[in-house]
Amino acid sequence: MKDERQDRIVAPSEAAKEYLTFTLGDEEYGIDILKVQEIRGYDAVTRIANAPIFIKGVINMRGVIVPILDMRLKFNLGVVEYNEFTVVIILNVAERVVGIVVDGVSDVIALKRAQIRPAPEFGALMDTAYIDGLTTLDERMVIMVDIEKLITSNEMGLIENTRLEVV
Amino acid sequence: MTIDMTRFYQVFFDEAGEHLATMEDLLLELDVNTPNLETLNAIFRAAHSIKGGAGTFGFHDMAEVTHVLETLLDCLRKQELQPTVEMVDTFLRAGDVLKAQLAAHQDGREYTDTRIAEVCSQLEQLSKLAPSSERGDFYPSTPSLHTPPAHQDAATTAAVSWKIVFRADAIDFQPGADLAALRDVLAELGNVDWLSADDAELCTWRLTTTAGQEAIVETFAFVCDPACLTISVDSATTTQATVTEKNSDSGFGFFAGAPGSAQAFDEEHDGFGLFGGAPGVAQIEALHSATEDADGFGFFAGAPGSESLLDQEHRGFGLFGGAPGMTQIAAVAEQNRVENAQGYGFFEPLSTEPLAPASTAAPVVAPPTQSAAATGRDVAAKRAAHSDTSIRVSVEKVDQLINLVGELVITHAMLAESASGLDPLGHEQIFDGLSNLERNSRDLQQAVMSIRMLPISFVFNRFPRVVRDTAAKLGKQVTLKLVGEDTELDKGLIERLADPLNHLVRNSIDHGIEQPEQRRAAGKSEVGEICLRASHRGGSVVVEVRDDGAGLNREKLLAKAATQGIPLPENPTDKDVWQLIFHAGFSTAEKITDISGRGVGMDVVRRNIEAMNGRIDIDSQAGQGTRITIRLPLTLAILDGLSVRMGDEMFILPLTAIQESIQPRRDQFMTVAGKGRLARVNGEYLPLVVLREVFALNDTTHQRDEDGILVVVDTNEGRAALLVDELVAQHQVVIKSLETNYRKVEGISGATIMGDGRVALILDVDALARLNRRAE
Repeated sequence: MKDERQDRIVAPSEAAKEYLTFTLGDEEYGIDILKVQEIRGYDAVTRIANAPIFIKGVINMRGVIVPILDMRLKFNLGVVEYNEFTVVIILNVAERVVGIVVDGVSDVIALKRAQIRPAPEFGALMDTAYIDGLTTLDERMVIMVDIEKLITSNEMGLIENTRLEVV
Repeated sequence: MTIDMTRFYQVFFDEAGEHLATMEDLLLELDVNTPNLETLNAIFRAAHSIKGGAGTFGFHDMAEVTHVLETLLDCLRKQELQPTVEMVDTFLRAGDVLKAQLAAHQDGREYTDTRIAEVCSQLEQLSKLAPSSERGDFYPSTPSLHTPPAHQDAATTAAVSWKIVFRADAIDFQPGADLAALRDVLAELGNVDWLSADDAELCTWRLTTTAGQEAIVETFAFVCDPACLTISVDSATTTQATVTEKNSDSGFGFFAGAPGSAQAFDEEHDGFGLFGGAPGVAQIEALHSATEDADGFGFFAGAPGSESLLDQEHRGFGLFGGAPGMTQIAAVAEQNRVENAQGYGFFEPLSTEPLAPASTAAPVVAPPTQSAAATGRDVAAKRAAHSDTSIRVSVEKVDQLINLVGELVITHAMLAESASGLDPLGHEQIFDGLSNLERNSRDLQQAVMSIRMLPISFVFNRFPRVVRDTAAKLGKQVTLKLVGEDTELDKGLIERLADPLNHLVRNSIDHGIEQPEQRRAAGKSEVGEICLRASHRGGSVVVEVRDDGAGLNREKLLAKAATQGIPLPENPTDKDVWQLIFHAGFSTAEKITDISGRGVGMDVVRRNIEAMNGRIDIDSQAGQGTRITIRLPLTLAILDGLSVRMGDEMFILPLTAIQESIQPRRDQFMTVAGKGRLARVNGEYLPLVVLREVFALNDTTHQRDEDGILVVVDTNEGRAALLVDELVAQHQVVIKSLETNYRKVEGISGATIMGDGRVALILDVDALARLNRRAE
């Protein structure tokens, strides 16, 4: 994890990386496409007792039990009804498979490092530690999220602390 | 091309491990007072095979230990000494040292510990009691005057006389070099004798060296093609075994035997025989016929007379071979020797040099050689047949298979569910197909599961030794009875069962079984008995550790609980009291020994068993003994469960935890102090666990408590009543871990996938009871 981040900094800025962008409410987010395993529709989940509210539950993905998180609940973007356009992005981060519920997937974009500008301090609403930076796409602002850091963070409660240390 | 010994290492490790295990078993079996000669012989053979292999592969530290071990064993089997308990103990310790050495070599290290020297000197001490003239040395003294002193220093390495035959004109000398220079180089390895005339076209040299054949070949490789070279053990000076450079690739034979000059035959020393691996057998024959056809070309250098070999026979024989199963050949070979009472023939494939020193040896006795070859072939065939019937597969592959079959079962259930809406009349074929699919996938599942099953004897087999050692340390007399060793259970469980069982057995000996005097005073036999019993009961495996010792002391436990401030009910039942020993830090042992008494054991045992979805129970009767029962699922991968509905959610309740289920009446629910809820079942008040409350389910169809079902479950804190909305069906479910992608959830032991493809969580009743108490 750490190495990768260092790589990113060291890597020549000309190398463009691909990002998947998705929408959450009115905002647009981008994540490293290499972390994305697949995209699927939202299915009924099995609730997990005493879990944080943004953990919707678990689903069966071809025999693998995958937890599903709702990013809107996580980012305090309000509750949105799930409809047929609700999409689950299955991520593969830190040797785990995790699904995140988003409003819709919009695009795959290639960005050079230089095109991502550092994000200003947002205040307390969202921890900027998980935000790589901001970029502009057709006059829209896209928030680049370090999804691996976010998913493995303590506040997500996805990974037990002991295991986090190992990772 | 030289032989790469390392590729045979694994074979040696496996084999030596087996021999060590055999040796230990036999030693434990050995009755010191009336020793069985067969057993002693078998132990000797095992030790000897290890020694042979260790020497062959250059693990000289192991060879040394086995050598002293063997010396003493030899005295025993020749009945020069009476076996004593002390000897058996020492043998067992030597076995441990060997195991440690073997493990170290496997990791590519060398085991260095003072234990080695200790055991060796102890063995030597013991064997000194025997008439000294009968003692053999590991490596025969080499009377050859030419042997440089340096080689005698190398006590662990046998000096071998090699005969090197090559054509002088095949040597491609560098300018300025000649045969003498070559000899000087060789002399660095050992003592070189020129057997042929200086100007002979065909040079025959004898090199006595501790270095292996490889070193010689390497030396020659500088100047000539190794193929032009014939290196053999100098047959005139050894009970021979041969290695021809040409044959070495095909695994014909590996090792030369012991050194020694012609006079060595008069001395007592170990005879070393050589057998090639299975492929070699055919070659022996081929070689045989080839040499017969080519008249005068080559001949067999035979055994030096039957008489002397028979004498040596008593000293045992060495067996070296790279192929697995060499011991079988060894056994056959030994039999052959005894039966034929004839000299043993070894091939000495010589080159065109007709007047080798070996010519003084008696002509070979061909028939026994052939019979040996034939027997060797039989053994090889048997071995081949055996290896055909089993394969080694990594556990991951099996697990993957199990997972896939699990998926298949789920897929079938999903298909069956979608088909259930169809009209059976119009879709007969679909329904037939589905029921066939179900049968087949169930069979497949069972077959795949059975791959992982191993007999429990894999764990049980270690206990004779544990019991013996522990009892000896404590001065107690204990016999061990094993029942139901064939009971099969999952490999993963077997591995995890070993530690808890080990602990329980040692506990039984330490705390359970009394000293002989006490036992006599109590009117019991002085010899205590520990019984390990395994059996299948329903869908689970029950393992019992029973002793006929003093039993648990109720008063002592209660007093200890009071001093430690462990809460207990007013009038605790025996069961409550026995459960105390599972408390962390609870020990009533007066003094801490290295066996037990630290009070860390039993809670770990229970945790281990529970981690395997098992349960542990204690039953004890003062003065009669204690019985500890461990109940385990057959496998970790599949669970028999009951699906229960609570609101909109489906849960799986392990069948092993369920005692009964009842339809409650309103008056069966009651509260204590307004919040703690109880349910009265059959006159007993049980804590009520309402899944909806524990898991904070916000279901819409809130039904009344008395419309639900009470399931009485057995938890490690006693019984509890679980309220659910509905019992749905009984299933065999494939257990999936939640932790792979998520984390551990309290009250949940895992997840499974239901017929409709949805995930259902598997309840952990023990954790539920804990959660429920905290919620109150």
